[in-house]
Amino acid sequence: MIRLESVSKVFKGDVTALRDASAEIQRGEFVFLVGPSGSGKSTFIRLLNREEVADSGRIMVAGKDLGSLSSWRVPYLRRNIGCIFQDYKLLSKKTVSENVAFGLEVIGRPRTVIKRQVPAILELVGLSRKADRTPDELSGGEQQRVSIARAFVNRPLILLADEPTGNLDPAASVGIMRLLDRINRSGTTVVMATHERGVVDTMRRRVIELDRGVIVRDESRGVYD
Amino acid sequence: MIYRLWYFIRETVVSLWRNLSLTLAAILTVGISLSLVGTSILVREGADRATAQFQEGVEFIVFMNADHTPDQDVAIRQVLDTSPAISEYAYIDKMAAYEEFQVLFVDKPELIESVSPDVMPPSYRIVPADPDAANVAELARQFSTQPGVREVATATDAIRQIEDFSTRVSQVLLVAAVVLVVVSAMLILNTVFTAIGARREEIEVMKLVGATNWFVRIPFMLEGMIHGLIGAGLAIPSLFIVEDQVLSFFQESDVVPLFRGFAVPDGFVWDTSLWLLLLGGTVGMLGSAIAVTRYLDV
Repeated sequence: MIRLESVSKVFKGDVTALRDASAEIQRGEFVFLVGPSGSGKSTFIRLLNREEVADSGRIMVAGKDLGSLSSWRVPYLRRNIGCIFQDYKLLSKKTVSENVAFGLEVIGRPRTVIKRQVPAILELVGLSRKADRTPDELSGGEQQRVSIARAFVNRPLILLADEPTGNLDPAASVGIMRLLDRINRSGTTVVMATHERGVVDTMRRRVIELDRGVIVRDESRGVYD
Repeated sequence: MIYRLWYFIRETVVSLWRNLSLTLAAILTVGISLSLVGTSILVREGADRATAQFQEGVEFIVFMNADHTPDQDVAIRQVLDTSPAISEYAYIDKMAAYEEFQVLFVDKPELIESVSPDVMPPSYRIVPADPDAANVAELARQFSTQPGVREVATATDAIRQIEDFSTRVSQVLLVAAVVLVVVSAMLILNTVFTAIGARREEIEVMKLVGATNWFVRIPFMLEGMIHGLIGAGLAIPSLFIVEDQVLSFFQESDVVPLFRGFAVPDGFVWDTSLWLLLLGGTVGMLGSAIAVTRYLDV
């Protein structure tokens, strides 16, 4: 599903974000990216949905070579990849269901499909009763659920999560991790960057550890350190 | 498909509304500048029609009798071809004269019906080497005595004045209009830029979930085009006011009889209106396209 071959990425001012990184992630895997701030976790994620382009090496995602992917095809790649972030990136003027529907609207899904899928996904993330609220009326955990609903409503092959529990209290984090686990069990590949020990240690999934842009550990059923 | 169209319209209208003061400024500027462009075209056209026969240096016209003989033509051409006082000339046959007559009197159909190509006098339009008035008068006197010549008409001071006046007026208007068109394009660019800024978060989400670049761009480009089109729409009534009030004022003035030809047909005003719409739409598209490519990182 995802393959990195000797991938390097250097930012301006000689900041090395990733150096000679190689990894292969199979369909349906759940992978934690761990490491301290600035170790290259976010760059790893941003390379996978082609917000960044690698300086050298090869990245294959969902059968596409991202290095040779022309820019007009990038949107179609992203329809196969859901993304969630620490800051949710919800639209504050839209309601919960409008936020989720927006993700389908702008890729041209028919209205009948939207009307069917949005309530179903809100049911899945447990927000059916808050469909008409706006994000600022929700707790952090609930906002992250909306963001997951938007990322997953299109049934992507891959879900990328960049510190999704970074702003949440432990109880809310557990809820979000259960949800991600459930999504993963439905066959979606999940790659999640985090530096929260508790989350990683509880889940016991594959762990890829980065240190200053280098992959220093890659073990299945791993712990934080 | 219809749903997608509805999406674009909704987003565009919301954005126009959100940015109302800038939108109005852009639309009004487009309207004013296109009014000037249109007025300049009308004045130019009116003057061209009024002075159609005396253009490109033609200082006098030798009208032949409708029933003159070929020999008489040969004799005239002989003089025209050999005389050093003549720089160049053009022959207008009966058919061409009739067509021109139709153009000149387009607003007087009863006059056009009363003539046919047969009765139109053919003529020579002559550009003298030296356009000095005294010299032209002398040349005209010489030609008027040639056999087969009906009369010789010289460009009067009045014609030169009309040409001068209309050229200056339309040039000044055109320069002002060009400046204003550029200003409107820049205003539209700014308005669209502000609209993009107001929707930065939405655009980020759209790119994240895989909206195509065109899907992101189209509402903004539509917005710019609508500025241009509404502006052009405002300019069109002003064209009819110019035609109705200004041109007809000259037409009815008895001071200078030549100004009576200073008219443009309604059809021409409509044609000009279409061009203004096209120009407005293009300026709008251009302004927003620049804004979208510069500020929309998609």
